Amino acid sequence: MLDGNEDLTVGEMLRRHGISRRGFIKFCTAAASAMALPPAMGPVMAAQLIDARRPSVVYLSFQECTGCLESLTRSFAPTIENLIFNIISLDYDDTLMAAAGEAAEAARDQAMRANFGKYVLIVDGSVPTGAGGAYCTAGGKSAVDTLREAAKGAAAIVCVGTCAAFGGIPFADPNPTGAWPVSDIVGDKPIINISGCPPIPEVITGTLLQFVTTGKVPDLDEHLRPKVFFGNTIHDRCYRRPFYDEGKFAKSFDDEGARNGWCLYELGCKGPTTYNACATLKWNGGTSFPIESGHGCLGCSEPGFWDKGSFYSALSAAAWGKAGETSPSKELEMAGAAVVVGAALGAVSAGVARLRQHRQEHQGDSDEPKGG
Amino acid sequence: MSRLAGIPIRVEPPARTDGLGGGVTAILHEIVTLLERLASLNEPSAIDLRSLPMSPLDRAELKRALGEGEVQATLNAEGLSTIQETRIPGVWWIEHRDSQDQLIAELIDVTYVPEILARVSNEIAAGARALSEQMAKAAAVAAGRGGSSAGRQ
Repeated sequence: MLDGNEDLTVGEMLRRHGISRRGFIKFCTAAASAMALPPAMGPVMAAQLIDARRPSVVYLSFQECTGCLESLTRSFAPTIENLIFNIISLDYDDTLMAAAGEAAEAARDQAMRANFGKYVLIVDGSVPTGAGGAYCTAGGKSAVDTLREAAKGAAAIVCVGTCAAFGGIPFADPNPTGAWPVSDIVGDKPIINISGCPPIPEVITGTLLQFVTTGKVPDLDEHLRPKVFFGNTIHDRCYRRPFYDEGKFAKSFDDEGARNGWCLYELGCKGPTTYNACATLKWNGGTSFPIESGHGCLGCSEPGFWDKGSFYSALSAAAWGKAGETSPSKELEMAGAAVVVGAALGAVSAGVARLRQHRQEHQGDSDEPKGG
Repeated sequence: MSRLAGIPIRVEPPARTDGLGGGVTAILHEIVTLLERLASLNEPSAIDLRSLPMSPLDRAELKRALGEGEVQATLNAEGLSTIQETRIPGVWWIEHRDSQDQLIAELIDVTYVPEILARVSNEIAAGARALSEQMAKAAAVAAGRGGSSAGRQ
């Protein structure tokens, strides 16, 4: 955390740690590849970052399971230690930092004062507002008060995980703690949502690196997610897509179709309506992703994935909206269509499902109370 | 536990009899275009192989089609990298691995000499300073040794 090196440039920190320019170009080339940027961007990023000041980063954890931080610490390119020691100045993270108690809180306050208006605020977890915010308190302050205070001096807020981005599991019906996503509490700061339960580690580190390199919020989709990582559905980039187009589906997890690696659509795969980079970046250093391991996508990077019915119901039969709000006639209509054709079905069902999801969300906006 | 790279995988030779696969042919066409751009505009470029949906067979075919040239460099910086010149002048096959030997980037660089091999001017100047300091220190040590041995006589 605060170690007296806050004013050093990235290049100065690299030299202190014995990392050569070549080593740094290599690091940036790998990061550019992970971010799907043109490969020529690696050396360009390296040249820009060498002279950049390391931004102060404050990482707040609220109502969450720490799975997102576990994911972040397994980033391969860039690695978390490279990011923390060289690219950013991680001034507060109550899970990773050595300090605890009042010393930790003092470090956070000092970092926020010293970098007011410039620090990056990372939030992990949803924010409970019920019972006056009493469901999540640290150092005598509620999560909602801590967030509001920390947001005042932030240059941007990065919401890591579906809980911070969309409310996540705590927001699930009946939302007993009155949990809300960060965007419903803070309305006057740039917000970048990196959703996923957890998010892909390289998406977290890649987004931070892109922000540090350019000093700008990247292009975002309608859910405030970086388009570079959330621009395509899992289905768009799935290696099993040809089977979907041919109408070849596994009907159970142990049938011949499953053994042949056919499409998992009928086993509940939410790939057609889920925007994320699992099919390209993959997990565990590019080893595989859930569909490659034989299980359908749960849709964990989409708002409300926990309340959309069974993970094992086909999309055509799934409830788009809160649990119990299904329209049986529409389910029947879609389920009937699902059996008939492959490719045509894909376009229609994904489109209809997305439209229905959008409508549900839009209608929900006016009914649900805002937190805070 | 074994690393993924440690699990032996045998790539079957191409069963095709009608030449290269479509994806490989497309990449080779792109390389021709990039070489023409390098020759006429002096503009280097690169292809990120990890961003392309290539099977192990496609990758082996592409590697075979480009062949190996005269130069192979190994870079030891935050893990090993190999920079292999291909049989086609100006086309380099680069693999970057991290300190755990995981492949973190793989690209085809179309350039005269890959940028990662070159040094920049401030590094040369820093090298000159470091070498001068090293020689000055050595001279000081030698002078001290000479003085003390003279004192003992």
